[in-house]
Amino acid sequence: MTRPSGLPQPEGPYPPTDEMLAEPVPRDVQEAQASRLRAAWETPKGWRYITAVNNTEVGKWYCLTALVFMLLAGVMALIIRLQLAVPENDLVSADRFNQLFTMHGSAMMFLFAVPMFEAVSILLLPGMLGARDMPFPRLSAFGYWCFLIGGVFVIGSIFFDAAPRAGWFMYPPLATKDEGPGSDIWLLGLSFIEVASIAAAVELIVGTLKCRPPGMRVNIMPLYAWYVLVVGGMILFAFPPLIAGDFLFELERSFDWPFFDPTRGGDPMLWQHLFWIFGHPEVYIIFLPSIAIAAMVIPTVARRPIFGYSWIVLSAVGTGFLSFGLWVHHMFTTGLPSISLGFFSAASEAVVIPTGIQIFAFLATLMAGRVKMTLPMLWISGALAIFTMGGLTGVMLALAPFDFQAHDTYFIVAHLHYTLFGGMVFPVIAGVYYFFPFIQKKLMSDRLGKWAFWLTFSGFNLCFLPMHLTGLWGMPRRVYTYPGGLGWDWLNLISTVGAFVMAAGFATFVWDLIRPKHRQAQIPRNPWDGGTLEWTHDVPEEAWGVRSIPHVTTRYPLWDQPDMLTRLDAGRYYLPDAQEGKRETLVTSVIDAEPVQVQRVTGPTWITLWAAAFTGGAFIFPTFSWYTPAIISGALAICCIIWWLWTATAQVPEADSKDAGLGLRLPTYAAGPASVGWWAIWITMLGDATAFASLVFGFFFYWTASPDFPPDGAAHAVPGLIALAALAFAVNWALTVGARQLNRAGRVTPARICLIAAPAVAAAGAAALVGAVIDLEPASHVYPAILWALAIWIAVHSGAGVIMQLYCLAGSLFGKLTPRYDADIWNVSLFWHFVTISALVACAVLGLMPEAL
Amino acid sequence: MTDEHQPRRDEDQKEFAEEHASLFKITLGPLIWAAHFVACYGLVAVTCAKGWDIDAVRSGLLVASGAALVGIGWVGWVAWRQWNVAQTGDFVNRCGRAEDRHHFLGHAAFLLSIISAIGVVFVSLPLVLIGGCQ
Repeated sequence: MTRPSGLPQPEGPYPPTDEMLAEPVPRDVQEAQASRLRAAWETPKGWRYITAVNNTEVGKWYCLTALVFMLLAGVMALIIRLQLAVPENDLVSADRFNQLFTMHGSAMMFLFAVPMFEAVSILLLPGMLGARDMPFPRLSAFGYWCFLIGGVFVIGSIFFDAAPRAGWFMYPPLATKDEGPGSDIWLLGLSFIEVASIAAAVELIVGTLKCRPPGMRVNIMPLYAWYVLVVGGMILFAFPPLIAGDFLFELERSFDWPFFDPTRGGDPMLWQHLFWIFGHPEVYIIFLPSIAIAAMVIPTVARRPIFGYSWIVLSAVGTGFLSFGLWVHHMFTTGLPSISLGFFSAASEAVVIPTGIQIFAFLATLMAGRVKMTLPMLWISGALAIFTMGGLTGVMLALAPFDFQAHDTYFIVAHLHYTLFGGMVFPVIAGVYYFFPFIQKKLMSDRLGKWAFWLTFSGFNLCFLPMHLTGLWGMPRRVYTYPGGLGWDWLNLISTVGAFVMAAGFATFVWDLIRPKHRQAQIPRNPWDGGTLEWTHDVPEEAWGVRSIPHVTTRYPLWDQPDMLTRLDAGRYYLPDAQEGKRETLVTSVIDAEPVQVQRVTGPTWITLWAAAFTGGAFIFPTFSWYTPAIISGALAICCIIWWLWTATAQVPEADSKDAGLGLRLPTYAAGPASVGWWAIWITMLGDATAFASLVFGFFFYWTASPDFPPDGAAHAVPGLIALAALAFAVNWALTVGARQLNRAGRVTPARICLIAAPAVAAAGAAALVGAVIDLEPASHVYPAILWALAIWIAVHSGAGVIMQLYCLAGSLFGKLTPRYDADIWNVSLFWHFVTISALVACAVLGLMPEAL
Repeated sequence: MTDEHQPRRDEDQKEFAEEHASLFKITLGPLIWAAHFVACYGLVAVTCAKGWDIDAVRSGLLVASGAALVGIGWVGWVAWRQWNVAQTGDFVNRCGRAEDRHHFLGHAAFLLSIISAIGVVFVSLPLVLIGGCQ
């Protein structure tokens, strides 16, 4: 049993009574509190502005950056359409055309659609939850800078004629054999951005679970928060297989390890599986958060609560699960057994049910309410119409025999653009119009908005509706030109005209977005009469997020709790003050949102920029095979991150508890499952474990797919060293957990001895594992290559774990980690739980499987 | 269902103790679907690649489908009881009391068990309709 740390428990009345809430706050107290809060949350000025980490700033940068990447990818699409406008055109060369469509797809997916979810959620979620900020503001900022650096690097390659050109899903052997750095830019650049996505997912999940306002139980949280939870969870299981695939792919590109080369036992199908296990859920990762925006807009315009809240939760969770059973429908023509195709076809049809349920819930809400046709609603209507069309062609394509005919034709291009425009682009633009007053404290133009809508909507249909026919008449995707007289000429010309009409619509929208609005009068605080917490925002803007964190008891507090807004503004609720001048937000319990802790959050800093720059170097230099600068850059990135953690996280507080308002005293420090950091590690490691599982899946995939795996007479890993490694990892785990327990029990010296021994044992274990495979020749066959890959994976994780153990040792020596304040060692032991399990699985695969198979 | 009490540091553990079954139940139906799906796909893929007896595997998997449906049915029944709509008559559970949260989680788990059952039936159809590995 773990001994209690001795930190105080929450004390005082909860929930607050009506009398407590009705008691006014004296005017002078209000003003003094407001000025202290304002000072603590002040946004840095001048050139220091880029050191800001507040969610409102980072979210805005994120959105604008994603928008710029979207516009660049859109320009590429226009060039593609110009090239295809007439037969035998020679506007761009075949090679340039390949770069353009590869980049268009990659940028729209990885630099616009997925980051836009993160951007919008970072920007809006704290407002909807009445939180001051996300729990880890610097992590958001770090993620943003990684995204910016990686995105500029990837998209910039097209200006040097060096862009990837094997299609956005990079199928080997085309992509592995491709000359030039294009494929490496894709692999390393996007891996870097995937890391940022996972960071954002961790941030958003923890934010939704632990930073809701007091009283907001799971059954009354805004639907947007439910979608964020589901999508965050999906990112954790969808992105890691791609990261594992990228890892194998880059090992093949750089060192000629034959993972996807059939002449040496590899299999290109493994890449297709790993890519689409990511790729199909990704479509829903894009779709769900955008439809979540519709779930916020529709109750407001219908002027009534959403119809079928539980049904929408069902459809979000159900879609999230089912979307992982669809990936092979992208691979119907690869020659898998028809019974296997049947499973995926059936699941693809089943996912329509939850997807349809949410559409019907929206329609029911609109029918039952008194709809006010606002601009956001116009875009939502367009979205529903377009998405339904795309969904219907999706049902057709889910039938394998139809897909055999339509595969790789323009019918697919039409289908995917209908789903993505209806499921993502239109709802997001609706969200921009709807939330613009919240974000910028200004309104966008109604007239320009209507122009933008009709141009985009008609241009879109003019462009993509004919493509169904072009595809059915046989035009393949990804051809840079085509002969005349096949009946495709006029269809392509119409599509090109439509593309430019749509571009005019986007130009109108972007102009409306960025045009100066200084002369606009001050807007009303709640221009749409919304019912959720983000509309308690301050006009003119205040950086503190929310003046005091309210006690919420209804789904639409602004509609159903009439006194809430005045009390919130008066600072009647929780955390109305910043006595110590520090940024704080409230941490509440997961299910019922009862206040448990006052969490200090971090403020402006340069360190996240440095950390992102060096992390970028570690990913970007290997593209050009500059391994020494890459290693130096990686080491500097680690130094920056250690400095950042040491100086800003899990600090010993000046007092163990503080007054949180309304008579409630809350602790200021938490360790283990009570702390947000522990939850973040748990969620991160879940994603990490998924990536490792994908590598192990690769091992078994080779066994399934090839008649001789492991090949007869192949050299195996050294069994004695594998056994030694397994033993060392087990001992290291015991020492780490032992250090945690001894430290908590006040036996600091034995705990330090454990923390000295553990890194040595872990390093010995990693060395033994690598030693077991060191004599194998990874370039000769896929069997030694996959053993090497598993050993490297574990060794790198052990390296990270050793750094963490030494960090805790240093913490113990310098008073940052004590028996009372021991969050760091809890997080490190959680990390080692996961890595130890992975290491033991790796030892079993390396040592036992060759015998068993 | 105690509404008035002081929050404690071990709040999360306590809630999980109280609502542990519900939180688990809300994803239990889909998890059974997922396990069934992976079993069907994985086993059939290996059977076809290694030339095992596909008919025996099909029959075995159909039995597994039956078991999955029974499991989901049980989850749905427990969730239905927890939702308790027959007695409360409250289909919406939009209030902020612990009781509403309890009923809501039952409602969501119940709906998810229905969609999971449909998913299992859909995914079982190829086992019935498609004969072999061709």
